[in-house]
Amino acid sequence: MTPVIHAERLSKHFGAFHAVDGIDLAVPAGEIYGLLGPNGSGKTTLIRLLIGLLRPTAGHVTLLGQKMPAKTVLSQVGYMTQAMALYDDLSAAENVAFFAAMCDPARGTDRARIAEVLELVELTDRAGSLTRTLSGGMKQRLSLACALVHRPRLLLLDEPTVGVDPQLRVTFWAYFRQLATAGVTIIISSHVMDEAERCDRLGFMRHGRLLAEGSAAELRALAHVPTLEEAFLHFAGSQT
Amino acid sequence: MNSKRIITLARRVVRQIAHDRRTVALVILAPMLMLTLGAILFRLEPARIPLGVVNEDEGVSLPGAGALAAGQRIVDALTASDAFTVTLLQGSEIETRLRAGTVEGVVVLPRDFSAALLRAPDRRAEIDLRLEGSNPTRSRQITARVTEAAMQTLASLAAGSAPGQATSLPITVATTYLYTNESMDAFDFIAPMYIAFLSFFFVFLLTCVAFLRERSQGTMERLLATPATQLEIILGYLGGLSLFALIQVAAIMGFTIWVLKIHYLGNLTLLLLMITLLALVGVGMGILASTFARNEFQVIQFIPIVIIPQGLLAGLIWPVADLPPLLRPLPYIMPLTYANNALGDIMLRGLGMAAIWPDLLILVLFALVFTLLAARAVRREVA
Repeated sequence: MTPVIHAERLSKHFGAFHAVDGIDLAVPAGEIYGLLGPNGSGKTTLIRLLIGLLRPTAGHVTLLGQKMPAKTVLSQVGYMTQAMALYDDLSAAENVAFFAAMCDPARGTDRARIAEVLELVELTDRAGSLTRTLSGGMKQRLSLACALVHRPRLLLLDEPTVGVDPQLRVTFWAYFRQLATAGVTIIISSHVMDEAERCDRLGFMRHGRLLAEGSAAELRALAHVPTLEEAFLHFAGSQT
Repeated sequence: MNSKRIITLARRVVRQIAHDRRTVALVILAPMLMLTLGAILFRLEPARIPLGVVNEDEGVSLPGAGALAAGQRIVDALTASDAFTVTLLQGSEIETRLRAGTVEGVVVLPRDFSAALLRAPDRRAEIDLRLEGSNPTRSRQITARVTEAAMQTLASLAAGSAPGQATSLPITVATTYLYTNESMDAFDFIAPMYIAFLSFFFVFLLTCVAFLRERSQGTMERLLATPATQLEIILGYLGGLSLFALIQVAAIMGFTIWVLKIHYLGNLTLLLLMITLLALVGVGMGILASTFARNEFQVIQFIPIVIIPQGLLAGLIWPVADLPPLLRPLPYIMPLTYANNALGDIMLRGLGMAAIWPDLLILVLFALVFTLLAARAVRREVA
C-alpha cells in the first residue's frame, strides 16, 4: 500500500539557512506520527512543505497519492496551525461552518456535522458566542474543530496541545487515537516529550534534519537509555 | 473556480463586518456626519455685511423728462439688497467708521455721478468703493455684490428712461447658463463626488484592515491550506465588500436625498453603478496595499499616500484642468478622477451612458488590474 505521506529528499532553504534539509518521510494510513524537536528545529516548515504552503527548494511531496502542490487534495486534509487561526468577529459555529464550506462547498452547510464537532470539543454551549469572547483553551479547541469538520483523511496538527490543560489533552489524545483507528493519518508536532509516548512512530528533528525514527520504545532501546529525553540527547549528540 | 466557495467567502466577510457594530456605525454614520457638515458649510448664507454709503450725487435735470438721480437709485438698490445693512454717512466719517469696524466697506457716489452717466463721449460713471481690506474673500464678496446692485440699477434706468438716453446708457447685463438648474446650491454640485470619495475612502480602509487581520491572525494560512484558490479568495472579498459598499452608498445617498434634501442628482442608477464600481477599485487597492502593511498603524499611513492626494487632485475641490502643469499628469493615474468626471456628467449635465462609458471602462480596467495584482500579492504568501 502506498503511504499517505511520501516525501523524498525534501529541503527548504531560506538563503544560507537550511530550515529543512533533505528529509525522507513515509507515513502509512492510520498512523499517528510525532515530529519531536526543540523550537526552531524545522517542524513547522516541514508541515508547511507537506501541505504545499511552501515550495520546496529541492525534493518533492506526495499526499494521498497526489503530487504536491495540488489544491484538490486539500479537501481531504485538515490543518491546525500553531497560531489560533480563527475569525474573532465570527461566532464559534460560524467559524466551523466557514471552514467546512471552504473545504467541501457541496456539503459545507451540514448543520448536524457542525454540531457534532462542536460537541466533540465541548463547545456546544458557546456555539453562538463571538470567538473573541472565548478563552485561549476554548479557541484551541475551536481551532481543532475547524480542522476536523470536513472529515479529512489526513490531519496535520502543529503543536495542537500547547496551552491545553491536562484534562483536555487526555480528551484530545483519546479522540486522535479513535480517528487513527478509523484510518485517519495524523502528523503531530510537539516539543513535549511525554506526549510523544502516545504516537505510533516518532521522528526526532534537529537543525532541519531527521535524526532518528521509530516507536518510543525502539528509540529508547536504540540509544540504551530509560527516557525519550535522553534518547533525543543521545541522537542529537551523535549528529555533531 | 468554485462559485459556492466564493459566495461562502463573501458571506463571511459581510457577516464579520456586521458583527463589528462599531465599524458598521463608523462606515455609515461618519460619511453622514461629514456630508451634514458639508451641507451646512456649502449652504452657508453670509450674514448681512454692514456697508456705509456716502451719496454726494447732485443729479441732473433733463429737459422734458424730469430729473435723473442715479446715485439715489443705487442707494435704494443697496438698501433693498439682502447682502447689506446700509448706513448713510458723511464723507468725513469714512476712515473712522472703517477703522472702528462698524462698516466693512463704504460706497462713495461722487457729485457728478448722474452727470457723468450722460456725458459724451464715453458716458461712464465711477463708483468709489473703500474697503477695510484685511479679508480678501470678504473684499471680493462686497465688490461683487456692489457691482451687481449698480449694474442692475443702471440697467433698469436704461430701460425706464426717456428714449434717446435709453440706448446710450452703457450697460447690458445678460446671464445665461448652459446646464445649471436654477434651484441648485453649492452643496448640490459637490455632494455626489463627496459621497464617492467618502465611500472609496472607507471601503479602502475596511479592506486594508480586514485583509491585514487575515494575515496577522494566521487565517490566511488556513485559507490557503483549503482547496480555495487565490483568485477565489480575492473574488470572495470583492463580492462581500462590494455588497457592503452598495449598502453603505445606498444609505448615504438616501440620507443625502431625504435628510439633506439635495436638489438634483441625475440618473440614480448610473450614480449608484459608478460609486459601486469605484468601491470595487477601492477593495482591490485595499488588498494590494494591505500586503505592504504589517500592522493597523501602517494602514493609517496609507491615508496621506493613497487617499488625500486623490481628494485634493482628482477634481473634487479644484478642476483638474486648473492644476499647474507639474501636477496635471497625476490625476490621470487616480481612479477617483474618472469617477468624478463621470459623476459630473451624470448629475451636473444630466448626461447618460453615452457620455460616461469611457470613464466607466477605465474604472473597470482599474478594478481588473488591482484584482489581478491583489491575487498575485496573495500568491506571494506561498514562498
